[in-house]
Amino acid sequence: MKPVRLTTILLCLLPGVGYLLVFFGMPLVRVVVNSFSGRGADAAGFTLDPWITLLTTPVYLDGLRFSVWLAIAPTALSLLIALPLSALMQANETSRKFFGSLYRIPLVVPGIVAAFLVLVMLDRGGMASRILTPLGITLPRLVRDEWGLGAIIASSWKNIPFMTLIISGSMAAISKDVLSAARTLGASRLTILWRIQLPLAQPGITAAVLLTFISSLGSFVVPNLLGPSYPLPLSVHMYTEGFTKGNWPLVYAMGTLLSIVAVGVLLTYYAIIGSLSQSDAQKRAGA
Amino acid sequence: MDTTLSIRRLTKQFDNTRALKGIDLEVPAGRFVTLLGPSGCGKTTLLRSIAGITDPTTGEIWLADKRIDALAPENRNFGMVFQTYALFPHMSVEKNVAFGLEMRNVAKPEIATRVAAALELVGLGQHARRLPRQLSGGQQQRVALARAIVIEPDVLLFDEPLSNLDAKLRDSLREDLRTMQRKLGTTSIYVTHDQSEAMALADEIVVMKDGEIVERGTPVDLYRRPRFRFTAEFLGLTNVIEADISGSECRLPWGAVRKIENPAERASEGIAIRPEDIGIDAASGEADGVVEQSMFLGASTHYWVSAAGQELRVITAGGQSDILATGQPVKLTPPPALHLLKTFEPVEAMA
Repeated sequence: MKPVRLTTILLCLLPGVGYLLVFFGMPLVRVVVNSFSGRGADAAGFTLDPWITLLTTPVYLDGLRFSVWLAIAPTALSLLIALPLSALMQANETSRKFFGSLYRIPLVVPGIVAAFLVLVMLDRGGMASRILTPLGITLPRLVRDEWGLGAIIASSWKNIPFMTLIISGSMAAISKDVLSAARTLGASRLTILWRIQLPLAQPGITAAVLLTFISSLGSFVVPNLLGPSYPLPLSVHMYTEGFTKGNWPLVYAMGTLLSIVAVGVLLTYYAIIGSLSQSDAQKRAGA
Repeated sequence: MDTTLSIRRLTKQFDNTRALKGIDLEVPAGRFVTLLGPSGCGKTTLLRSIAGITDPTTGEIWLADKRIDALAPENRNFGMVFQTYALFPHMSVEKNVAFGLEMRNVAKPEIATRVAAALELVGLGQHARRLPRQLSGGQQQRVALARAIVIEPDVLLFDEPLSNLDAKLRDSLREDLRTMQRKLGTTSIYVTHDQSEAMALADEIVVMKDGEIVERGTPVDLYRRPRFRFTAEFLGLTNVIEADISGSECRLPWGAVRKIENPAERASEGIAIRPEDIGIDAASGEADGVVEQSMFLGASTHYWVSAAGQELRVITAGGQSDILATGQPVKLTPPPALHLLKTFEPVEAMA
């Protein structure tokens, strides 16, 4: 009886888990394995060379730091705008309709188009500077600048709608009575946002943060178009190393490193969120 | 402090419907008033307007000599209890109760004392550290009650607070609510569609229909001497009988003649007789009617009696007599005085 049941369970799991193994697990394993292989046909079986190159070359280490910066900065900026926007959409029907149609516009614009929009607007001699220069305002360098501001703006512009969609959805799920109760108890709208809406929408906020962070970490088009010539994010290095230099083991090593960083950042994020709610629980127990 | 609440010519217009059509209502300080009516009668809209959650279209709300209809809900100092409990799900019971005090910048030690006292009052002292989801519905509503009274509100507002609870729990919480309100003496407005709840709790019942007040009075007055057929039929069971009225007397369809309590009432729609006010006995000789159907409910027995072409409901108390069989001819004894009912005319029909 028991072995039969085990087989049944495995068979039932096969469509889901099997799919993941074949199309996600195996390529990932291949990437990791190949990052420890040599270059070319006469390559040795196992070598740490790609990793040593990656972790000792300043250009690549700067690239890694820049990749993380280009992921964290747009995530933070998008969150800063998407959070109040989502909260405002809860206020009443009119604001829901108004902000609701407004934030959808960037949803339908592909990333590369967004990047070109930013280029046309913010590049030196672009529309923004042509409008502002007669007024005596000089814009700082926003395109191909060393902080990647143009890339951050384009990436945020693209990500704010997605974040708003997710966060406003989880805020809309909060009972209207709960918000009304908070008001009758004396809470202002800002207090309600901080003490009721944000904690209750936290799972949605987390999901939005993760999606934005991961997609920005690996983004190629936006930094390639709007970013500086130095440093280059790892995604751009991966392209160059692979397609122009044919150094695939290094590309695999960079891919693995980016994934490790992503996991690391996410674990840190969870730890922070966890300690926040824990300290709340401790406050509760201590009160 | 005087906490008399006055509502003057209050209207509320939603897109195409007038939810409130000019409500005038005064609730004296310390009074427990229930707003009673079918769903859609505007009672909840009225309560939410008083709380400040809904903005009335026109009209005024006064608390003693202070006009409050333009005040935001957070500045009114009214406690509100919701049908859905509306507890903060991510906060412990004591944090929920403490919330209103924190908003008022009460000192921490005082918050602790007052929260503990409020939880003790609703009998949940030992559950202070729990989260709302770890409590039963009845306990959650007690927390909501503690949260509303701990801020010492000028007015307590209840929006069908017992409707989500099962029958037994509803009864016990109803008694506790009554006791607590008597003890605190807080002016209270309580919305319900349940007439027995309204009668059990209220000093005064305000019956509403289609955005208007039909009539108001003490539970006994409204039950015994309703002016309108709507009130009579909404508050408990009643038989409305067409009868021959001449002067201050009327002849019931099966021949009995009785005095009328309120012969001056105009535009009457019929005679109201509560089912429990009619005596019913097996007829030995001439019969007034026949038992069509009976229903034994333990504490009482309900009969459907057909008498001179009219169907009557008659209720007898527990062990007074044997259950009368279906088809049994019966003698009916109406009460010594009868009550005339008026048809309720909405404002629009009168205009």
